[in-house]
Amino acid sequence: MAGKHLLMTFEVTPTSHTLAEYRARGGYQALEKAITTMTSQQVTAEVTASGIQGRGGANFSAGRKWSVVNLKDEQVHYLCANADEGEPGTFKDRWILENAPHLLLESMLIAAYALQVRHAFIYIRGEFDLPYRRISGALEEAYGAGYFGKPLFGTDFACDLIVYRGAGSYVCGEASGLLTSLEGKRGFPRNRPPRLTVRGLYQRPTVVNNVETLSNLAGIIRDGAAAFKGAGTAKSPGTRLVSVSGHINRPGVYEVEPGRPFRELIYDTCGGIPGGRKLKAVIPGGISTKVVTGEEVERIRLDNEDLAGVGSGMGSGGMVVIAEGTCMVRLLQVLLRFYHHESCGQCTPCREGMGWMHRIIDRIVDGHGVPEDLERLKQISAWNDGNTICGMGDAAGYATTGILAKFGDEFDYYIANKRSRNGGNLECPAST
Amino acid sequence: MPRIYIDGRPYEADARQTVMEVAAANGIAIPAFCWHPKLSVSGSCRLCAVQVEGRSWVEISCNMPVTEGLRVLTDSDVVRAYRKSILQLTTLNHPVDCGICDKAGECLLQDYHYEHNGSASISRDPKVHATKFHPLSPRIVLDNERCVLCSRCVRFTHEVSKSKSLGMVQRGDTTLIRASEDGAFGTDAYSDNVVDICPVGALLSRDFLYKSRVWYLQPTRSVCPGCERGCAVNLWHRKPEWKLNSLDPAKNRAIERITPLDNPAVNGPWICNKGRDMARILERPRALQALVAGAPATLEAAIESARDLLAAARRPLALVSSWASDEELAAFSASLGARVRVLVKRDRAPEAGEVIEDGLLIRPDKNPNTAGARALFPDLWDGTSALPDADLVLAWGEGFDIARAPQGARTLVLAAWADPAHARADVLIPISLQTERHGHYTNFQGVKSAFEPCFARPDPVADAETLFARLAAAREAAA
Repeated sequence: MAGKHLLMTFEVTPTSHTLAEYRARGGYQALEKAITTMTSQQVTAEVTASGIQGRGGANFSAGRKWSVVNLKDEQVHYLCANADEGEPGTFKDRWILENAPHLLLESMLIAAYALQVRHAFIYIRGEFDLPYRRISGALEEAYGAGYFGKPLFGTDFACDLIVYRGAGSYVCGEASGLLTSLEGKRGFPRNRPPRLTVRGLYQRPTVVNNVETLSNLAGIIRDGAAAFKGAGTAKSPGTRLVSVSGHINRPGVYEVEPGRPFRELIYDTCGGIPGGRKLKAVIPGGISTKVVTGEEVERIRLDNEDLAGVGSGMGSGGMVVIAEGTCMVRLLQVLLRFYHHESCGQCTPCREGMGWMHRIIDRIVDGHGVPEDLERLKQISAWNDGNTICGMGDAAGYATTGILAKFGDEFDYYIANKRSRNGGNLECPAST
Repeated sequence: MPRIYIDGRPYEADARQTVMEVAAANGIAIPAFCWHPKLSVSGSCRLCAVQVEGRSWVEISCNMPVTEGLRVLTDSDVVRAYRKSILQLTTLNHPVDCGICDKAGECLLQDYHYEHNGSASISRDPKVHATKFHPLSPRIVLDNERCVLCSRCVRFTHEVSKSKSLGMVQRGDTTLIRASEDGAFGTDAYSDNVVDICPVGALLSRDFLYKSRVWYLQPTRSVCPGCERGCAVNLWHRKPEWKLNSLDPAKNRAIERITPLDNPAVNGPWICNKGRDMARILERPRALQALVAGAPATLEAAIESARDLLAAARRPLALVSSWASDEELAAFSASLGARVRVLVKRDRAPEAGEVIEDGLLIRPDKNPNTAGARALFPDLWDGTSALPDADLVLAWGEGFDIARAPQGARTLVLAAWADPAHARADVLIPISLQTERHGHYTNFQGVKSAFEPCFARPDPVADAETLFARLAAAREAAA
């Protein structure tokens, strides 16, 4: 795709993920630069200056998250990479774990140096097989080359890293649920306050960052914050990995530069919709971001600011493309089934609300819906909004209210006529 | 000391407290299922939400740190609407089978529904069904449909009883509370406390299951006699106005259940399972017939014979009861203490398999007032060594085998419960039970706790407190 590339800068070959090839591309030089020429505070300052935002979905400034950790508090600090990529439609971190594992490891060492972390973790989702083997293999190589477990470059800084496999839970991708799971407990998210950077893993200050966020650090240190800010927009600096799936000719992971037209990604980079069909909608950043209509896609740029203008956001970069002729009622049914299945059951609004919404949408699809059901779905979404321990309840509400706001007429039709206006299609309808 | 404002009124708070704790300390009731003063914060029921003045949304008070000048509202329109919505969700899959639920009448969900919601469910969809009567242990059954997943019981076994024996399986609205497979919940000596802290009727005591509606019962404050901790308890028995005349009159004098009475100086809000089962010890067959030389006699005749024995004795020895109240012991000391050699007797020894001692409540001495008795009579009889020479043994309470009396000694026994061996005593005087009189026990820490009577004393039974004065008065009259 047109635009700058910061992560996808090499050709993927069967051996491009190895330490030898990574070093041949200049790997681990940023680490040496950070440790031998910069202090921890300077690294953090550089990351803050780059303006990089979290790539897991919340877009929170990584520098601000780090700045909460007090390097002089005499406590143990932890760093954890969130590789529990569970947001439906999102598979961008998988690309990094499979093809650039050393980029993540080097970046984590830089982050560990900045935050004075002795033990770092990668919490990887249990379903990831090749990514797990690649990152484990890379870690073995890195230990063999002396990057882990030993003092580096003549300083007394050393870091160990543990790769921990999750057991398959959406909620364990939420940072506090992830840490609770990492501690060996049931993966329940925790109440804030305290923030995880105050009391996280084993009650110690812990920074949890997304894999993609961390993987940008090596580049930021190597080329400087200014070079990073040279890509993207003023408010969304750098590039974003997006994973495109759904009704699209060339699904996959792409690196995009925020600020370019949205339609360029859909029609040029990804080759448009199969059969030349019209674009009905796009879920732009994982199913927890609100849906964007095809008409909106035509006129906006692909960045947080423009997406916020149409009530959505870049989220986790998991893009689901929906072609004309798809039944949005059945789509919402799929989404709500997912949320019902993945609600951890800890707090009341989500535990009871997800099942309730799922039963309502099931009833609508079965032809037993009543007009009041749509009101009820919005009401349950509102009850969840901001009132749950983690963001999952809110997310389900966003998905629901987003679809209802933009495609409410399809639901009215379904309830009135007891059938779908689009034949209940979820697969890309055959070309007409 | 930050000052915070709840509903406009100022309250002094500790900087480490949460808004919920400040409210609770000042008698402001904020509804909550999952919050419990002795357990960690879970924040899962969401019912305790309050509104910070000036904000349009609500936040949970159980996890809201106190800050100087914080102003919260516990009864604003936003809060009331939010509580209604949470109660709609809480009752969504709750069976609302209060008519057959043991918790009815003391159920938080019932109370909160009446107080804060009051409307029928707005759901059109069927409820989620789950396991009924799941045996968590031989003592406790779980109704998963009634469970609101507040996790109080799970946190109790992790934080208080430390058996770590309860947890959750599955997730979402099919989450179930389950006991660990190793059976640790069955051997948790404090497991029944989860029945008390369960805000709804999910955790049920097998012992109390379907025994009585709670509104037919009244609590009487008492002290558990199970060990020297002397936990404060409530003995629940039938209200006099709900007396059963023909159906099952025995229930009128039955202890239906025993629950802890919060006493921070002794036991906090917990008691052990043995304390719950004290009715089995207290309700053994009573000694109701005075005996003289094994033959039935009137109480008056038995007291007559007893004072003759005492008057004739040259070397009388008394084994005083460690189940006697401070008042009874003082009466004994005042009346007979100067004349009689006194040893304190441990009435009950640990039973086979009983927990001897642990770090929470259970103490090795299984008698409630050994400390109170030894404050007056320092000498303790260990129960096994030979008794000192005596020509009369006055055995007060259990734990003395008449065959062990010194050669040729006469025996005078004061007993509350029947025992065939009583026929071998020279005189038996039946005495009243803890549940039939006022009194105090002094526990091993020196804390005095009061107990009150639940039932009237049966006629042919003497009160030890007044008995000794009569025995002593007789001696003086005879002299």
